[in-house]
Amino acid sequence: MRASVTQAPAKPNRGYGRWTPLWFLAPSVITLLLIGIYPTLFALVTSFRRYNITRPREGFPFIGFDNYVGVLTDSTFWSSLFLTAKFYVTVLPIQIVLGLAIALLLHKPGMGLLKSLARVTLVVPLATTYAVVGLIGRLIFNLDFGVANQLFEAIGIGRIDWLSSQTGAFAAIAVMDIWQWTPFCALIFLAGLSMVPGEIEEAARLETSSKLALLRYVQLPYLLPGLTAVMILRSADVLKLFDMVFVMTRGGPGSATDLISIYIQRVGFRIFDLGTASAQAILLLIITIIISRLYIRLFYREVH
Amino acid sequence: MTFLRLDNIKKTYGDVPVIKGVSFAATKGEFVVFVGPSGCGKSTLLRMIAGLEDVSSGHLYIDEREVTYEEPAKREVSMVFQSYALYPHMSVFENMAFGLRMAKRPEAEIKAQVAEAARILQLEALLERKPRALSGGQRQRVAIGRSIVRHPKLFLFDEPLSNLDAELRSQMRVEIAKLHRSLGATMVYVTHDQVEAMTLADRIVVLRAGLVEQIGTPTELYDKPANTFVAGFIGSPKMNFTNARVASVSGNGLVLEHPSFAGGKLALERPSASGVKAGDTVIVGMRPEHLTVAPAAPVLALTLDFAESLGGSTQLYASGEGDPVIALTSGRPDLKPGDALNLGIDPAHIYLFSAAGLAL
Ligand SMILES: Nc1ncnc2c1ncn2[C@@H]1O[C@H](COP(=O)(O)OP(=O)(O)O)[C@@H](O)[C@H]1O
Ligand SMILES: [Mg+2]
Repeated sequence: MRASVTQAPAKPNRGYGRWTPLWFLAPSVITLLLIGIYPTLFALVTSFRRYNITRPREGFPFIGFDNYVGVLTDSTFWSSLFLTAKFYVTVLPIQIVLGLAIALLLHKPGMGLLKSLARVTLVVPLATTYAVVGLIGRLIFNLDFGVANQLFEAIGIGRIDWLSSQTGAFAAIAVMDIWQWTPFCALIFLAGLSMVPGEIEEAARLETSSKLALLRYVQLPYLLPGLTAVMILRSADVLKLFDMVFVMTRGGPGSATDLISIYIQRVGFRIFDLGTASAQAILLLIITIIISRLYIRLFYREVH
Repeated sequence: MTFLRLDNIKKTYGDVPVIKGVSFAATKGEFVVFVGPSGCGKSTLLRMIAGLEDVSSGHLYIDEREVTYEEPAKREVSMVFQSYALYPHMSVFENMAFGLRMAKRPEAEIKAQVAEAARILQLEALLERKPRALSGGQRQRVAIGRSIVRHPKLFLFDEPLSNLDAELRSQMRVEIAKLHRSLGATMVYVTHDQVEAMTLADRIVVLRAGLVEQIGTPTELYDKPANTFVAGFIGSPKMNFTNARVASVSGNGLVLEHPSFAGGKLALERPSASGVKAGDTVIVGMRPEHLTVAPAAPVLALTLDFAESLGGSTQLYASGEGDPVIALTSGRPDLKPGDALNLGIDPAHIYLFSAAGLAL
């Protein structure tokens, strides 16, 4: 099709039609609607209904806030939530400290090839599926041939039955989470450190020879946005942490590793009480949002 | 008394030599300027003095103490960077106080020192502001204030004015000169701008490609440049160079030949040029500001290409058989392009260099 010769073009030919951008955006928007927004809305609606799929004959009537009242008065829900919080405050400080240490080492000048190799290696745990991390964890903490026990025997502590003891299992899932997420912290902090203009770092080096002071007063302000992001992502992620723990311990022994998402999964897909499970999930969503806003208010500072 | 001494300092990056052996000494209270074209290694040299860059070989002394391998903070030097390098998240007060805080000085002393620096640099009204709320000139003042509160042994400046506009630059130049006089401190200042070098320096170190070309006071460099590089670098507009042939040598004098000379020849008294033989090539240098228009005894006979009036003075571009010549003259001579232009010069102001570029 050709435009008529007499008609002056109103605007330069952009090389694409009016609807072209739509087609490029559509797949991601549709995917987002399908796998993000629709399930969330579905869960929201479900959370206000009695929705036990083993008893379909009773129907799925709306029951107002009954599910929420049930959840908030459920002591197992609270103890799972508390355990999740304990898990979070156990792993996150270690991840931040180790990640920062790795970032500082990688930020030092020199040994270019080795460092770029290390940076690539850091991506490996991040690229590993949670379930696979769980499988690796089961191997590492295996009673008979796991590398953890080999190590403990070598230093003379002796074998520990990790996955069958309450503290052992908690420690094991914590170690695997630290293994998987420390590199992420390291990469975020490395990015933050490289944001510090060279001359500002040098100006500080002329004023103090303390590396700690340099970190605290000059580099830290550049790390805060990344730190906030790490804390938010990790709190959301720990609240939904399921696959790795499920593969390693199924929440046991007892309730030693019964994190909140494991509990919700049990309510939803063992007891099939989807109404309660949805209410729990919505509450988690609300908690996540509140925590995120809190972190942003408390820690987030842009450096100009 | 020597206060800062560089002893055959070298720097290589990998296999690439950047500083190829620089030796130099400055006395206490001296204002030394390193000047040279971009990429000649001025910043590298300054950063080695500060300790921000390792020295590949050689020795460095500050106040009688070897500091070649000393940590930057322990050298008691302060530096003003081209980008100001203020801490963006700290107020002006905190920026200036940071070094003192790190040195664990008492709070009362910190307050007093910062207040004093703020008074000298007229920053009192800005102490609570963050750097991003300051203009370029104000940031530069804060950077200078940060370096003076610590009373360092040595002040280092790396092209501190190059991010400022022309007017502010000359204003800050005057302030730095005043500051130097009132503090009596030893300062090393890096610039590629020969005007800054000439106006600020007690002594200038001219660098080229990692080597010292000449060290001297501004007037020494202007009057007795060691070679054509220094002669061309110092002074604005640049010195005019003409390659001339030596026609004859006699006693104290010599006669040079070049088609641009009035009558094709130029006779000079120059006892120092005794090594020159007839037939050699020499380079004749004349500064634009020394040339006079329509003199009684013309030295150059040229044709005017065009004239640029600067208001009070006029810059004349002329050419003959050789390279174009620039002359600077006061007033507005009544000349048109294409006119014959005779230029004269006091023979004492004619510079002579060997064909290799060394002063004769
Ligand atoms: N880190 C580096 N690695 C390799 N070469 C460098 C490095 N830093 C500077 N150089 C080189 O050293 C020379 C001098 O640089 P510099 O001291 O910054 O020059 P100036 O300040 O005189 O403009 C330049 O040619 C530059 O390319
Ligand atoms: Mg430089």
